Formats: sequence, structure tokens, C-alpha cells
Amino acid sequence: MEARGAKWRWGLLDVVVVVFALVPVLWIMSLSFKTTATLTDGHFIPREWTLENYKTIFQTDQFVRALVNSIGIALISTLIAVVLGTMAAYAIARLDFPGKGALVGVSLLIAMFPQVSLVSPLFDIERRLGLFDTWPGLILPYITFALPLTIYTLSAFFKQIPWDLEKAAKMDGATQGEAFRKVIAPLAAPGVFTTAILAFIFCWNDFLFAISLTSTERSRTVPVALSFFTGDSQFEDPTGSISAAAVVITIPIILFVLFFQRRIVSGLTSGAVKG
Amino acid sequence: MSAPTTAAAKHRAEEKPLSKAEKARLSEGKRAERRLGWLLCAPAAIVMLGVAGYPILYSVWLSLQRYDLKFPDDREFVGLSNYVTVLSNQYWWTAFGVTMLITVVTVVVELVLGMALAVIMHRTLVGRGIVRTAALIPYGIVTVVAAFSWRYAWTPGTGYLANLFSDSAPLTERASSLAIIMLAEIWKTTPFMALLLMAGLALVPEDLLKAAAMDGATAWQRFTKVMLPVMKPAILVALLFRTLDAFRVFDNIYVLTAGANETSSVSMLAYNNLIKGLNLGIGSTMSVLIFLTVAIIAFVFVKLFGTAAPGSSDEGRR
Amino acid sequence: MRKTRRTARAGVVAAAMALLTPLAACGGDEGGTPTINLYYAPEQNLQKVVDDCNAEAAGRYRISYQVLPRGADDQRVQMVRRLAAEDDGMDVLGLDITWTQEFASADWILEWTGDNKAQAEQGTLAGPLASAEYEDKLYAAPKNTNVQLLWYRTDLVQQPPTTWDQMIQQALELKGQGKPYQVITMGAQYEGLVVLYNTIVASAGGHILDDDGTEAVFDQGAVRGLEILQKFASAGVTSPSFTNSIEDDARLQFQGGNAAFELNWPFVYPAMQEGAPDLAAKVKWARYPGVDASTPSKVTIGGYNLAVSRYSKHPEEAFDAALCLRDAEHQKFSAINDGVPPTIESVYSDPEMAKAYPMKDTILEELRDPANRPLSPAYQNISTVMSATLSPPASISPEQTAKELRGSIQDALESKGVLP
Repeated sequence: MEARGAKWRWGLLDVVVVVFALVPVLWIMSLSFKTTATLTDGHFIPREWTLENYKTIFQTDQFVRALVNSIGIALISTLIAVVLGTMAAYAIARLDFPGKGALVGVSLLIAMFPQVSLVSPLFDIERRLGLFDTWPGLILPYITFALPLTIYTLSAFFKQIPWDLEKAAKMDGATQGEAFRKVIAPLAAPGVFTTAILAFIFCWNDFLFAISLTSTERSRTVPVALSFFTGDSQFEDPTGSISAAAVVITIPIILFVLFFQRRIVSGLTSGAVKG
Repeated sequence: MSAPTTAAAKHRAEEKPLSKAEKARLSEGKRAERRLGWLLCAPAAIVMLGVAGYPILYSVWLSLQRYDLKFPDDREFVGLSNYVTVLSNQYWWTAFGVTMLITVVTVVVELVLGMALAVIMHRTLVGRGIVRTAALIPYGIVTVVAAFSWRYAWTPGTGYLANLFSDSAPLTERASSLAIIMLAEIWKTTPFMALLLMAGLALVPEDLLKAAAMDGATAWQRFTKVMLPVMKPAILVALLFRTLDAFRVFDNIYVLTAGANETSSVSMLAYNNLIKGLNLGIGSTMSVLIFLTVAIIAFVFVKLFGTAAPGSSDEGRR
Repeated sequence: MRKTRRTARAGVVAAAMALLTPLAACGGDEGGTPTINLYYAPEQNLQKVVDDCNAEAAGRYRISYQVLPRGADDQRVQMVRRLAAEDDGMDVLGLDITWTQEFASADWILEWTGDNKAQAEQGTLAGPLASAEYEDKLYAAPKNTNVQLLWYRTDLVQQPPTTWDQMIQQALELKGQGKPYQVITMGAQYEGLVVLYNTIVASAGGHILDDDGTEAVFDQGAVRGLEILQKFASAGVTSPSFTNSIEDDARLQFQGGNAAFELNWPFVYPAMQEGAPDLAAKVKWARYPGVDASTPSKVTIGGYNLAVSRYSKHPEEAFDAALCLRDAEHQKFSAINDGVPPTIESVYSDPEMAKAYPMKDTILEELRDPANRPLSPAYQNISTVMSATLSPPASISPEQTAKELRGSIQDALESKGVLP
């Protein structure tokens, strides 16, 4: 029947997407399970399996500390950036005030300036303020550089929302709060959760700021910790442990995305936009 | 970017002459609106300006100086001469060309693939969660690790991809290494586009699509005449930010070829001069030039998309 | 969703405040014992050396080993950033030998004088010592050095070649016989390519810079070096990935079995024992090939020097700590346990070195007649320019490239122009 044929077609497309997305990831996974001897034999599936790489990275608490730092810093930065961005985006999309265009312009400017030049002056400031090698020392720059995308994305989405629905709901007898919660919030959800995912991934994977503004385990995040992994000599890259670590640090991303991806489209089905 | 919108706002404000009473009432409401607007924007503005303001200004200031950290006594103010040096240098223009090429190709391909992926992620009838999560994983992997895995994969003898082609090493030739770099970029950041486009898709009203279908529109017509117009803001955001990032490509090139065979990007050039050469003057100049290029691109995009840009039209206001 | 936002936000603010408060407690001195912060590349057993030196210091100071990132460039960036900001949290710095002049010129490290200087120089090999000097003053104490060797397959090669021409010829003969023939070395566009070229030039008796290090001479020997490099790259004896290979790639290629020769640092030996033991049994080492049959090669050295930061709060103790970390006994320990060749000559004759370091005699032979890379504060510039121009080596046209390099190296020395 039509529906079943459609299912098969979609299923096929799904498989293509998953394969294209995951084959290189599986390659990294396979590298993480290979022994040092077979690391470069070029085979996709390891001929010799080992869990040694995974054991190695958890041997010292260096990596675990980095994981904790990453999770904490990324979550806090994302949360604050999304909150501040939502407020600003609401204002930009719905209110009229002088300086609105300037704010959007300035935030774009910040997004556009090459970060490599900003790192040294930022390091200077943080050192003087005592923020170097601390959580806030990373959280503040992360918020700053996640805000432009946040503000821009959210204001684009907020403009799409039919705000008259709020008035209509109030005329139907709902209170301001109810109208907002039941009508507006679900429509704002796709934008907010999309932004949250993108901001989280940015904070999670950033390397430049993390390596410049941290120096000890106190605030070192995972991408930087990878550059501290050592091989057997200064010339040998610990590819096995790096691959294992890469696999491990992708798991929170997967969880984060799995959790949020449904909410991106849940807004439509809650019934606000009918007729 | 901001000039046209503030001018328009000013013009609107000065429009009609109002009676005293009307003015009094309106300005009360308007002032309240303004205050609320500023209040809501203040935290974000404070954080952004506080953190990035001084570094950006300092960078621009440095670009006007001859300043090499290794020879601190030679520091002096030279005005625009650094800009002349960079803009008349062949290395800069070669890197500029390579960067432009990579940017244009990857953004176009990613837009198309991203749109397709967004449709699949949004509308698939089976395994929705799996597809969405799997599709986003490439974007979530640490770039350097992914780049290393590509490097291994494309090196003859150690990787599975190189063995598929001839015996030559694709990473040692200019054309093939550029292709591999672009492939790595596309693989990594298509999910970024797809995610933004999918969120835009989610806002397309179902009933509009149903009505169009009932009117006899084909799937393609529904796509181009119903979905695309509603998605314009989402497309602008995705396109704009992706282009800004694409122009600053660094990690993939650094790991895959280290810039050999003239595959360097402008970011790598800036990095080499700033960090390796410790030439703060030239390095900052390159940063400013990169910024200006990207700003021009952004300006063009915003102009092209017109009213779809945030903060520029009256849609959605109370 | 929205109603929990406010409470979540309050929680976040509280969390942020809680995190901001314990800011002050960062690496202060405990009571009276000064902490000497050692910033050094990751070396597996260096902590033991540090502990040993702390025991020897008996309370006068306490060394704290702060590990730097794995990559040399990352290490340099970390230190440069903090030194440029006049950070006083660093005391002893582990510098790659090519950074010493740069740091000295930027006035970031202290000069070694008097007794400290005498102790640092005593018994130290001349090559590494030269890399620690700038404008005839000593700015660092060499800790360890490194030099490349020629590794060859004994089942394929009876007599190891002594010149480049011989090596290429032997490889081509093996190729004709259908046996593994490749000559593996590093040819990517990076520092390693400059090291390779520098070795060839020095072996040919050429000079890239004049003796002062202020002018690019690029004499006949340097041009000859270009010819040899170009000939090697286009002779058909290199691996397909030659122009994209760095040290570890080269090691893996050799272990892959298609090669008869390898030019690489000694780290490949223990790595081969572990990764390809069957192959390792058939591999021996020899002196790096030279240019003329009558003149032995002069090989580029690597290694690390220990310097004292100008902004250190305890310079006296820092000098002492550095001297302890690099003294003969500890250099022997590091050589045996971490595989880093010593800079003090007497350590090489120690019987304990023989087992872990079977190639020590060849290494010492090369170290007695070494080549340094151009010793100049602008070395990073020079290296960047050279590696970009020399890559890919097969496309070098000697006279043309020489002219180009003479000009661009001179610019690099004066910090003019743009780096590629």
C-alpha cells in the first residue's frame, strides 16, 4: 500500500544518512579498539581487539577531571547563553527601541572577528582579574561567543511566531501566564532547543579558548586534555587513547541531542496552530 | 548591517506630527517599550561587550603598529603600512583564493545536502530519533580528532579510503587534497545547517501544506512555494553563520596537509604570522582583513534576504 | 519549560557565585618553601627526577612539574602567551633548542652567569651548548639532545651507504630486483623538512646564515644541498606519502615492510621492538649518510634546554633546580627510562647505558660533529619560510629556489613581509 511503500522509501533514505554520518565515526571507534601493532593496518574492522586504550585513559583521574570540567562548563555556559539570548531575541523580534540594529550588528561583529587574535588580550585580562584557569574564566568567553548565534537564531524564529494567538487565547479566557505557556512557548521551543544544542556543541568542542585560558586540571576541558595525552615518545601520537577518548566524549553529545531532538518539533503537535 | 535598520527606525519614529495628547500617551507606552527592550538586551550586551570589546579594539590597534614580540625594541606606530604589506603579498592572495573556493563549494553543497537532510530528519516515518541523533554526531565530534581520522583514512597503507583508489597519496596533490579537505568540512558541518533548517521546517504550518496539496500542487511545488518562503529566516541564519565559519576554516587543513601544496587558508596564514612569527602587527592586520571580508559577505547576505533579517521589519511586533 | 527557567537561572547564578569565590587560592607558596614551577613537555619519568631533586633540595625549594601539551608548537604557544603577559607563575622552562635565541631576544629568560654558567657548561657537548647561547652569553642549560640515524634492513643491505648518492643507488638496485627498496624519511611541509635540509647543507659544508646569524648567505654548499634534496625526492625511491609524512608516519611506513632504509630519530628503535618485533630483529643502525664520501655527515640535532623565566619570583632557586634536573645522574636516568639522549658527554661511557641504548656510540659520534639549525631569534620565521619553499622537494629548481630563499630568509630575519 501507499503508506508501506512510503515507509520503505523513508527507511532507505534513513539508512543512507546514517551510513554517511557514521562510517567515519565507526572508523574512529575501530581505531580505539585496535592494538598498537595493528593500528595502521588499514583494515576497517580490527583484526585484534583490545580494551587497553579505554583502560589507559581512565587510569589517571586526569581525563575524568577534564570530563567533569567540560560537562559543567558547557552546561552552565549553554544555559546562561540561551537565557540571555532568549531575552534579547524577544526584545529584538517584538519591541522597538533605539540601538536594536546596533545590538544585532555588534553581536555579528563579535561572531565574525577571528578568535585567534582575541585570545591573547583575553588571557591578559583574565590573568589580571584572577580568572585565568577557572571555570568562570571559560564560561564568560563561551557565553560571549555563543550569544551571537543564539540571538540571531532566536530572533529569526521569534519573528515567525504568530503573536496574535496570545491575544486570542487571552480573549478566550486564558491568563497571561497560561496563554504564554500553552500557546507561545511550544512555538518558541524549536528555536530554543536548536540553539541550545548548537551552543552546547560549540562549548563542548572548543579548543582555542580552552587551551589558552586554562593551565591545570582545575579547569582544563576535554579537547585540551586530548592534546596532553602522551605517546611512548615525543614523536608518537597516542592514537589509540585519543580515539578512545574521542568516543567517550561524544557520548554526552549523543545524550544531549537525543534528549532535545524530539522537543524541536514537539511544538507543532501541541495543537496551537490548528485552523 | 546596522545602518539601514537604525535609519529606518528613526524615520518611522519621526513620521507623522501628532497632537500633544496623543504624543503624551504614545511616548508613555513607547518609553515603557524602550525600557523593556533595553532591560532585556542589557545582560547579553554587557557580557558580549565586556568580554570581547577590549580584545577586538586592542587587535585593531595592534594592526596599526609594527610589533614583533621577538624584537620588542623595534615597536612603532606605522599606520596602514601593515595593510599595504599584506594586501600586496602573494601568499595572502593565494590563501584568499583557496579560502574562497573552499567556502563557496562547501556552503553550496551543505545548503543542498542540509536541506535534504532536514526534510528527512523532519518527515521520515521510521526511526526518527535515530536518524536525527546519528545525523548530528559528525557535528558533535571534536574537529581535530575527526580530521586525524580522515588523515589516517586517506593515507595509503594505513587507511581504508586510500586503498580504494590508486596507489598515489591523495593528500600530496593539491587538487585531491583540497577535495578531501572540502569533504571533511562538508561531513562535519552539514548537520549544523540541517539542524537550523529543520527547526525552520518545523514552523511551516501543516494546514498550509495540506491546502496546497489539495489544490493539486506537486511535492516540488509545495517545497518551493510553501516551505521555502516560510523558511527564509532560518535559511538566512544557517547560510550566514555557516559562511562565516567556513571562511575561517583552520583545523581540517592544519591536520590534513599542514597547508602544503598551497592549501593554506587565511586563518592559517594569520595563525602562522601571529603565533609562529610572533608578529602581532601583521597577524592582527590579517585578522582585521579576515573580519572585513566576512563582514562584507554578511552585509551582502543580509541585503539579499531583506526583511527576513532579525530586527529589520515590523513583523511580529505587538 | 518556562516556569522552571527562573528557578534554574537562580540556581545557575548561585552556582556561578560559588565558583567565583575560591579564586584566590592558586599555587601560592606553602609557608616558607618557595615553589619552583617547572613547565616541561610530557616525559613519562620526569616526575621521578623532580622528586629526586626535591629530596636533594631538602626544603630549600620544591619543584612542581607542570606538564605542557604534547606538541612542541603547543608548548611554545603556552609559554609565549604567559611570558608576554609577564606572568610570574613560571620558573623553569623546558625549551626546544630552537626557541632559546628567540626567548632570549624577547628578554623573557635570564642569563646564566658565574658558578651556574660554569656548572651548566662543564662536560656538556659543544653542539647542544651552542644552541643555548645568544650573543655570546649563555641563556639555558642543555638537558637532553637528539639526533637522527640511518636505519637499514640487514637482510637487504650488506654494507650501509655512507653518502646520499650511494643510498639512492642501492635503493634503485633493490627496486630493480623487486625487493623492498624505499628510503623513508619525513618530507611534509613542517619543521622536519627543514631539519632534513639543514643536515644535507651542513654535510655539504654549506651555510644558510652567516656566523653572526644576521645575514642570509645561502652559499654554494646550500645550493648543492638543494640539488641533493631535489634529486632524492625525484629519484623514485621515496614512499608515496613522503610529502605528507612526519616522524610517526615515517616509522609506521618503515614497519609496513616496503622499505630498506629509514632516516629518523632513535625513538623508532624501541617502538619497532614493540610494534614489529620480527622486523626489528633484521634492523640495524648506522651513521647518517653524508654528501661526500670523504667527509662524514653533520647531522642536525634536536633536544631540550632548561631556562629560567625573567619573571620568576625565585630565580636563585630556579637556577639550582634546573641544574639538578639536568645533572649527569638524572640525564642518565632519563636516557635509560625515557629514551632521551644526554648532553653531558661522560654519561655515554656509563656501562648502564649500553643495554637500553645500544646505538649510543653512533649517536655520540654524530653528536661530536653536529649541525645546529640557524641560531637566530627569527628561527621560527626562517623555518616557516623554508618549509613552505622547499615543499614539495621534487619541484625544487636549485638556482631559482636558492635566489628565492636568499631573499625570503633575509626578510624573515628582519621580520619583514608576510610568513606563508
